Amino acid sequence: MDKRFVVTPNLCTGCRTCELACAFSHSVNGKPGLSRIYPLSAGTDEAWVPVVCLQCENAACVKACLVDAIARNPETGALELDYDRCVRCMACVAACPFGCSLPDDQHSLVVKCDLCGGEPVCAMFCPTKALAHQEICSSDRKSA
Amino acid sequence: MCIRTVQQLNKRKTQLLAGEKKFPRKVIVCCGPGCLACGAQKIADGLRESLKKKKIKGFTVETVRETGCHGLCEKGPLVVVEPDGLFYTKVKPKDIDEIVSKTLARNEIIDRLLFTEPATGKTKKKYSSINFYRHQNRVALRNLGHIRPDSLDDYIAGGGYQGLARALLKMSPDQVIETVSKSGLRGRGGGGFPAGRKWRTCANVESDTRYVLCNGDEGDPGAFMDRAIMEGDPHSVLEGMLIAAYAVGSTEGYIYVREEYPLAVERLYEAIRQLEEEGLLGDNILGTDFSFRISIARGAGAFVCGESSALMKSVAGEVGEPRAKYVRSVIKGLWDKPSVLNNVESYANVPVIIMKGAGWFKKIGTDGSSGTKAFSLVGKVRNTGLIEVPMGITLREIIYDIGDGIIDDRPFKAIQTGGPSGGCLPESKLDLPVDFDTLTKAGSMMGSGGMIVMDDKTCMVDVAKYFLEFLVKESCGKCVPCREGLYQLHALAVKISDGKAVEADLDRMEQLSDVIIRGSLCGLGKSGPNPFLSTIRYFRDEYLAHIRDKRCPAGVCKNLITYEINDKCTGCLACIPACAYEAITGKKDEIHILDQKKCTQCGACYAVCRFDAIDVT
Amino acid sequence: MVNLTVNGKLVQADEGEMLLSVIRRLKIDIPSTCHHDAVEPYGACRLCTVEITKTEWNGWKNYVTACLYPAEEGLIISTHAPEVIELRKTLLDLYLARSPGAALIREMAAEYGITATSFQKVPDGDNCILCALCTRVCDAMGFHAISSVNRGHGKEIAPPLKEPPPDCVGCLSCAQVCPTDFIQYKDKGKTRTIWGKKFKLLTCKDTGRPTITVEFAEHLSRQRNIPADYFEHDHESHRRQLALTLGKLAEWDRKE
Repeated sequence: MDKRFVVTPNLCTGCRTCELACAFSHSVNGKPGLSRIYPLSAGTDEAWVPVVCLQCENAACVKACLVDAIARNPETGALELDYDRCVRCMACVAACPFGCSLPDDQHSLVVKCDLCGGEPVCAMFCPTKALAHQEICSSDRKSA
Repeated sequence: MCIRTVQQLNKRKTQLLAGEKKFPRKVIVCCGPGCLACGAQKIADGLRESLKKKKIKGFTVETVRETGCHGLCEKGPLVVVEPDGLFYTKVKPKDIDEIVSKTLARNEIIDRLLFTEPATGKTKKKYSSINFYRHQNRVALRNLGHIRPDSLDDYIAGGGYQGLARALLKMSPDQVIETVSKSGLRGRGGGGFPAGRKWRTCANVESDTRYVLCNGDEGDPGAFMDRAIMEGDPHSVLEGMLIAAYAVGSTEGYIYVREEYPLAVERLYEAIRQLEEEGLLGDNILGTDFSFRISIARGAGAFVCGESSALMKSVAGEVGEPRAKYVRSVIKGLWDKPSVLNNVESYANVPVIIMKGAGWFKKIGTDGSSGTKAFSLVGKVRNTGLIEVPMGITLREIIYDIGDGIIDDRPFKAIQTGGPSGGCLPESKLDLPVDFDTLTKAGSMMGSGGMIVMDDKTCMVDVAKYFLEFLVKESCGKCVPCREGLYQLHALAVKISDGKAVEADLDRMEQLSDVIIRGSLCGLGKSGPNPFLSTIRYFRDEYLAHIRDKRCPAGVCKNLITYEINDKCTGCLACIPACAYEAITGKKDEIHILDQKKCTQCGACYAVCRFDAIDVT
Repeated sequence: MVNLTVNGKLVQADEGEMLLSVIRRLKIDIPSTCHHDAVEPYGACRLCTVEITKTEWNGWKNYVTACLYPAEEGLIISTHAPEVIELRKTLLDLYLARSPGAALIREMAAEYGITATSFQKVPDGDNCILCALCTRVCDAMGFHAISSVNRGHGKEIAPPLKEPPPDCVGCLSCAQVCPTDFIQYKDKGKTRTIWGKKFKLLTCKDTGRPTITVEFAEHLSRQRNIPADYFEHDHESHRRQLALTLGKLAEWDRKE
């Protein structure tokens, strides 16, 4: 099974439900955490696109981590960051060419998308299905 | 000329012995650390100089030999005429001409240089008749005082490397281990772990590389056994390592020696160079498949680096901190490879065990602790020096027979054994046999072999304070119980010594000691509270005197004593300039006056007074 | 897999797994200051000491640090035995004598009912608890810029010769992992200062915000093959670019 995020920017309304869902599912001490996903302007006032980690095959964040704190979860395919291993050197934050490792200054953490253990809540809650997490076929070029 | 086979080794030995026949008599000058410090080198050079000028029958320049430590450091520099065994003590450069013209030329004995037995006042001509030597049995120190330390030839002539030859050619590695196991040789560094078992475990671990390490990081205050061996007979250590390497299947060895022993470092380098030159170190030793190399790792003198895992880290170039040993270093040691680590003295014993057999060694000593043990006997004992005695000898024999009793016949108070983490034993324990298990049971330990004798002028609180301070400084500082716990234990000991403690502080110290023992990472921490625990066990009254009566019975703890001038004062004026604080005033022939306000209890007046006119209370 | 008992509860663990990991998995709270998953267990703080025994040990008990004791079949572990509690209390008491200002120590001590040390205050004490996390993390990252110096009670953490460390790249990991926030650093504009060494920070070409130091980025490019141009922008700028790219793709899609 190879599930991926499928983003369809034309369906995104910028409602930020994904962001809310992510923050709540990654709560810290019972309070909402920093969202790993948020919609950004796709160039015009009307166009939005949710930006989230692409779980790259040959990921710069993994290469940049000198203490091997980022590793792929073989079950979900997610590149997960081990908080107990992370030394917060910010190498992954600086190295990711898509800006998807995020510094959580409030909690002195670095965070990134972990696919919520296989069922990302952002996709689950997306009202327009601009964001979906589904099995893909190779011809789908909108997949990211 | 190389020694590639046993035949060549034996041939060399025969040639050397034949060569030595030219010098039937020799003048031996002890050049151990103690004698050297007292000018032994000048004596040796002076003797040669004198023999160059005067022709004496039977004595040439070559017959003057500098050797390793003879043992009786108290009376150094020592000069021995062999084979007669004539023994001269405290030889000064001005005695040289007399020794040459009287003793060497005409066999006349110079009485004033002879050893006088303090108890009887009798002089002794031969060292074999002196109590200090009579009770000893030298195995590890066999060559000290007999051979030139920098001479491989002397070592070979004395039967050196025969043990290696026998092991390599007549025994399998397994048989070597079996022999060492059966001999009952236990680690001489203090741990007392059976050497044979250690070797067996190492040999059984699957690995392509094994290391043989020698611990020469002797760090106990007042201990110099290993130093004497490394300086006086380095080849015995190397031969022991070679045999161990053959037994466990190692090709690489390291000697860890502290930089504070420059002569030991130099001698070991020289000995290794000689062996490499002769082919006794390197590939295919004595024509067999066995290859071995030894390097020297010089330590910076941290006490903790004598601990096995810290030593290995230090050899590897890391910070010398012990690691937790849930995997023993014999399985995963230096660079994570199986490593055998033994002490200098343990290795020095090995060649003899191989040559004379396990049974011979086992017969010496006691059931649980076979063989002999070298000690450095120091403190308030008449004959201080380096000794080697069979295990099982009593402390009383060591102090009163070998040591000839306490200086000035003062009462004996305690003997400190086992170095800083050892303990102090009182008079009631003097008849205990000295072996690994008995000393541990009595609350002290064998340790590497330091023995400090104390008389009634020694304060046990002060002793505990001293050793605790040493341990606070020498802790590696890695784990909290040792680093912070010993610091606080020392602080409490200071409080007692200052007369500021209450009885509850003793309970606090005992509780803290318990935590340090239970909580520390390595042996240094776990035995760290011993200076306190062993003194409180046997000298609680003395602690209580400090706490309840604010009194130091031995007159040592400065805050608790006063110096007073009594009417024995003759008004000699000696103490007045001695007092740096100008606390003493007085005129000639009048009793002097000591101003208590200015007195700092330094004891300088007490030290200079020859009329017993200073009271310490 | 081996079977062991933790506080009366039967659990399974991988053979060789350290007890601390087993205990933390069970959500049992035991203190520790020197443990971090990025580095090898060290065993310096001794706070994670637990009592262990086995049925066949006939009542003999041992006290070991959980971070450094591997799980074994039949091990019976007690994480809060009276002796263990006493040990932790004394250790925290000792810690407080040296580092009374360290928040972490104060919190841990308070949990064990200690608010002030009963020992003599260490005159030259500071908030460094010598857990050596900083040096170990620095070593693990391959820089070896700082180390412990001296020994015994005078031990401290310092760069070589107490001069600005030549091998430091200013990644701040030492300061980040320091459990008592003792390691000081300063980021001011485009300059970072740590261990007395000054670093130039890279800034984002778009936002102008500082990211990591020039030295660290160079190290990552050289040692980890990360293209140098990745470091030209900060993460927010990168994100915006990704959004624009996706937007363009979407535009083509609409036109099709």
